Formats: sequence, C-alpha cells, structure tokens
Amino acid sequence: MVERYQRRVVGVALAVVHNQDDAIELAQETFVRAYENLSKFESRSSFSTWLYRIAANLAIDFWRREGRHVVLHGEDAETEISKLPTATGDSFKEVSRSELSARLKQALEELTPEHRAVILLREVEGMSYDEISDVLQCPRGTVMSRLHYARTHLRNILKDVGGD
Amino acid sequence: MAECGEIGMMLGAFEDSELEPNEMQEVAFHLARCESCTSILADYSTIGRDLRSIAGEPSLTGFSNAVIARVDRLPQPVLARIERFLRRQLDSVGAGFAWGGAIAAAAVMTIILMTPYAEQFANRNAKPAASVATAVREDASASNQVANATADEPTMADNDSHADISRLESENHSVAVWSEPRRDTTVIWLPDQP
Repeated sequence: MVERYQRRVVGVALAVVHNQDDAIELAQETFVRAYENLSKFESRSSFSTWLYRIAANLAIDFWRREGRHVVLHGEDAETEISKLPTATGDSFKEVSRSELSARLKQALEELTPEHRAVILLREVEGMSYDEISDVLQCPRGTVMSRLHYARTHLRNILKDVGGD
Repeated sequence: MAECGEIGMMLGAFEDSELEPNEMQEVAFHLARCESCTSILADYSTIGRDLRSIAGEPSLTGFSNAVIARVDRLPQPVLARIERFLRRQLDSVGAGFAWGGAIAAAAVMTIILMTPYAEQFANRNAKPAASVATAVREDASASNQVANATADEPTMADNDSHADISRLESENHSVAVWSEPRRDTTVIWLPDQP
C-alpha cells in the first residue's frame, strides 16, 4: 500500500511545504496516521483521496506551526486577487529558461501554502478541480479562485523579470 | 462579446478543461478575437510546463521501510502484542511446534470424545467383580442378613439366574446376593424356609 501511494502522497505534501525533506517526513507521518485511523475511514471518498487529505492537513499544519510565512486564510487570501495588477498581454517568452525557473521557484515560495498547493496539485500532480476540492476540503469555486490568484501572481512576477 | 476581465477569470479553468461546455465555447469564441487573452493563456501554459520541469522527483529509497519501522514503534494493544508474540514464536520454532500443537490438540480431543465409552466399559467389568465380593462378604454374615432381609424374591427371568439359584440350593447356602448387570438390579436370594 505504501509503495502504491507514496509518490503522490509526497507530491501533495511537497505542494504545500515546498521542501523535499519536510515533505518526505510528512508523507511518512501520513501513512502512520492512516494506519492508526484506518477504522475511521468511511467509504464516502476514495481511499487515496482520504490519504491525500491527511497529507494535505499535516502539511498545512506543519507550515503554520513552523511560521515561515505570513499565511492568508479564506477570504483574506481571495481578496488578494483584487490587489494584483491587471494582467496585460505582455508575454514573458523572451526571458531565459534558467532565469525563469529560478524566479518561478522563488515566486512559489511567495505564495501562501493554500495557493501553492492548489497550483502544484493541478499542474504537477495533474489533479482535477474536484480532486483538489476533496483533498484540501474546500469548495470547487475556491479551488478555481485560488488557481486564478496563483497563476496571475506567478505570471506578474515572471513578467517583471522579463521587464528588468 | 464578453469583456476580457470576465473571460480572464475563466482562462485558467479553460486551460484545464474544467469549464462547462457553454463556458468553454464562450472563452474559445473570445480568444479567437482577443490577442491579449490569448497571450495570457499562453503564459499560463508556460507556467504549468515550467512548474512540472522544476518539480524534482524526490528520492523514495527506503521510504516504505521507514514507514513500517515507524508503525512498529507504535504502542500496540495487548491482544495485538500477544498475537505478534505468538506469531514470532511460531515462526522461530517452525513447523515442529505447529505439529506438536496439532498432535496435542488431537490427543485432547480424543480423550474428550472417548471418555464416555471408557467409563461404560469400565462399569461393565467392575459390576460382576463387585457382586462376587459382595456375595462372599454376605455369605460370611449370613445369619444377620437372613434376620434383616424383608425384600420379596425377585423374578428370575433368564436361564443364568435359574442356574445360579439351583446351584445355591444344592450347595445349601443360607443367603446370597448378586448383581444383574443387564437389568442393573441387585438380587438377594434366600432359601425356601422349611
């Protein structure tokens, strides 16, 4: 069972904490918690979703406990969208790929764990909006707005790099 | 034609194919005429591709063993601990222990099942012996037995009993007592009084 789900569980934890060592530690803790609470698993969701939800909760708790960043929650985070400059049609294609990657990593660090989790679960783990909604236990509309915020934020930062 | 602001909110979901069919159509129609939104969509696509390229594959060597080790360190319920102990013992001793246990269990079952038959068999053998002993004892104290005996003479139904009575009469015994195992009856014989 561990080998079947380990990669995705690590991926979920990594999407939130953005640190491999922490993500692996949290993923191991996820399986231990799942083992301890197996009797509480109800078949309302799939086992994998239940497992990923444990991982996401552990990772978000870890992030908050560590206090590495100021984290915006709920509506506070969503209202940040309105503060973003309006995206224009200027593309950042001319920026070099290495510079883009470096800046992208830094830009990810600047996102809240909730926003980072949403965009990484979508883009890297390939989860659908419904799956993300189940794992992060938030409405589908919240998933859409967080994704929009995260993408706009990343694009603006990368566009600034292109403009330097 | 929809405004760019309205369409902009749906561009990401359009890229992810997560819109309703009519919304997909609306965005596609807008993109066909709007270079700005088309450029934003291209950037989203690039961001997605770059995110996948920078996402390193974490090394999972020894991951499952580490999880199992952590699970083993968890405090176990008493029954689970006993079960695990017995399982380890069984593993270490191997098939011999299992066979020994099976033979012991079979022996216990045999004893339990055979006990009623063994008791029945023992009773059958014990009754004649007891009756002989009693007869000898009773014969030795014949006069007292005669004085106290008040029971009616039992019916002698089979040939063996008749043969015994004839023998006792010929040997001039004063009293005799024996058991009839088949009838589970004790017979007290007294000679005809003159």
